[in-house]
Amino acid sequence: MSDNLPASLPGQSDRVVQVDKLSKKYGDNVAVNGISFNLTKGEVFAFLGPNGAGKTTTVEILECLRNPTGGRARVLGYDVSKRSDQAEIRKRIGVLPQDFNAIDRLTVRENINYFGAMFKHQLDADKLIELVDLKDKRDEQFKKLSGGLKQRVGLAVSLVNDPDVVFLDEPTTGLDPRARRDVWGVIERLKSQGKTVFLTTHYMDEAEYLADIVSIIDHGQIIASGTSDQLIDTHGGKKTLIIRDAGEEGLKQLLPGFPKAELRNAGDIAIPLHNGELTNILMSLAQTPLHDKEIEVRRPTLDDVFLNLTGRRVSEEGN
Amino acid sequence: MRSRIYTIISGHFKSWYRSKSNIFWTIAFPLLLIVLFGAIFGSGSTKFDLYLQNQDLNANVPTYYSQGYITVLNNTRAFNLHMVPAEQPDPLTYVKNDAQPHNRGQRLLVLPLGFNQTLKNGGNATVQLYMDQSDQASASLAGIVRSVTISYAASIAGSPNHLFLQQVGIVTRNIRYIDFFIPGVIGMTLLTTGVFGAVNTNGRYRELKIIKKLATTPLSKIEWILGMVGYQLILATISLVVILFFGYAIFGVTATIDIYTVGLVVAASLLFPGIGMVLANFVKEAESADAAANAITFPMMFLAGTFWSRESLPDIMKIIAKFMPLTYVNDGLRDALIYAEPAQALTNTLIALGLAAFFIALGSVLMNWKEE
Ligand SMILES: Nc1ncnc2c1ncn2[C@@H]1O[C@H](COP(=O)(O)OP(=O)(O)O)[C@@H](O)[C@H]1O
Ligand SMILES: [Mg+2]
Repeated sequence: MSDNLPASLPGQSDRVVQVDKLSKKYGDNVAVNGISFNLTKGEVFAFLGPNGAGKTTTVEILECLRNPTGGRARVLGYDVSKRSDQAEIRKRIGVLPQDFNAIDRLTVRENINYFGAMFKHQLDADKLIELVDLKDKRDEQFKKLSGGLKQRVGLAVSLVNDPDVVFLDEPTTGLDPRARRDVWGVIERLKSQGKTVFLTTHYMDEAEYLADIVSIIDHGQIIASGTSDQLIDTHGGKKTLIIRDAGEEGLKQLLPGFPKAELRNAGDIAIPLHNGELTNILMSLAQTPLHDKEIEVRRPTLDDVFLNLTGRRVSEEGN
Repeated sequence: MRSRIYTIISGHFKSWYRSKSNIFWTIAFPLLLIVLFGAIFGSGSTKFDLYLQNQDLNANVPTYYSQGYITVLNNTRAFNLHMVPAEQPDPLTYVKNDAQPHNRGQRLLVLPLGFNQTLKNGGNATVQLYMDQSDQASASLAGIVRSVTISYAASIAGSPNHLFLQQVGIVTRNIRYIDFFIPGVIGMTLLTTGVFGAVNTNGRYRELKIIKKLATTPLSKIEWILGMVGYQLILATISLVVILFFGYAIFGVTATIDIYTVGLVVAASLLFPGIGMVLANFVKEAESADAAANAITFPMMFLAGTFWSRESLPDIMKIIAKFMPLTYVNDGLRDALIYAEPAQALTNTLIALGLAAFFIALGSVLMNWKEE
């Protein structure tokens, strides 16, 4: 056995997921290229990357749906490549596949019980319905629900065996902002209950908002990992001072003093901040007609992290 | 803990009965067909069907007196005459085979060889009428034939009273079109619910990621397939019972449910879902799989003798029909339910079970439970 993986008693470890140099090739296409990471109990881990980055492939290897072509992975201490271990993993994980739909003509509650019956023990359907806030829809057929509600049924279904770790593959893709917030609410509740959550997403704000740890994956490789603060500090670049609604006029006035100032889409002016520069800028601004404009210091986001690391924006590729 | 297989069966079953279109295709549509076809072909014409074998030919041309007799028979306008070729050595069997699919009574009139010569020579000639005394039409039909015989005899100059009618009783099971049709409708329903059911549960459920989700649970592929087959078995039983009940209630079709019927229903519940699974695995998109299912079930339905006897098909089609699994289900169901021919029913049941084992095994092997 590999010595890279610390020995751990199956089912006992705090290392809920251990991935070591994991690879997956489809013919010549390398979908996952030697990635390594760990996921600790109670953590919300976000796998962040554009479409085709290899997120689903990785998650489905951990769910024992696909076989890796290289490297190792353990879930709850069990080896995903071993048949006997796979049976144990399946009992203990919760899964929401990407683009999952429950059974059209079963009600919310029937669907939860349907998937629950696949396990030896299942949680009470009504408790789960409460958790995902679907009380008044419990006897509604799945096909009659809106996209956001459907996704919440999927979340309930993924929790039905009281799993030790939940894999949520792009749980908010395709939802409207309101429905996304609702799904976030459910995931936050899981987090507060101490559940370990493995989340994939191509939404930067989602990872930033929900995750304790974010790993950014691109072309099958992890290009950065850490808390979002760490990622932003390390790769996000400078803070930016934004002067709202300053327009062309404002820019003309600023450029002599601040050659790096630039005009952004909504007429805002952005000035990159170097350390200790803020006071200087503010003092200079006070002398100009811009002093009564709305001024904001913007921290870089994960968007900037991705941009700085890859030269591309995730949102350009995300659907 | 409820059993996983039970859960799958009940999930499919709920999905089935909650869909109006499912109910229509599995229950209402077959009944509609029965009523429609029964009404169109059931009543038949008001004339009596009568098979006629004229053995008295001269160089393939009816002899003078035999032709004369037939003309008189025709002139009564009471009969639809169906000619039996003179060279048929066993005209009764010929009639039996031909009458059933055409929904005709089994009645045969034979003009013997030498009919013309005997009458010419002033000898006694006899025509034979084979019919079943229990045939509702027997009395009036025999009466008409008798008067034709007497009046024709009278018209023959010089030899009146030399022509006789001999009535021969036979026992027929008078199989009407509707009796023939009902097992066919059952076969058709088993075919469509099986193939489309499997395409739906294995193609569409894959698209909806339901199968992917289930594959991450302790459920095994075998349990999933057993659940689907169990559901098909229930559906097939319901179809059989409902169709037979309506056949009896509306048309008085009496069917015998025996061990072969059970065997055939089991075979159909494995065979047709098996074919559907094979389709769903070759044609990945649920929509195209649906189209493929249509492309397979429709020709099979027509060629396998669902609506009409295969007798009337061109030879090449008869050969193709031999390769259609539905052929054996249809034939077996007819043998078992209606014809009471256990030997033939056994053969067809065994062939159907063999095909069932093959297709469900192939479908199961081909089906990807996990990814890749
Ligand atoms: N079953 C498959 N067969 C072949 N290639 C695949 C398969 N699944 C995914 N891929 C390829 O692997 C890469 C990663 O895909 P995926 O893991 O689905 O990415 P993501 O979930 O991040 O969008 C893509 O290039 C995709 O086309
Ligand atoms: Mg994906």
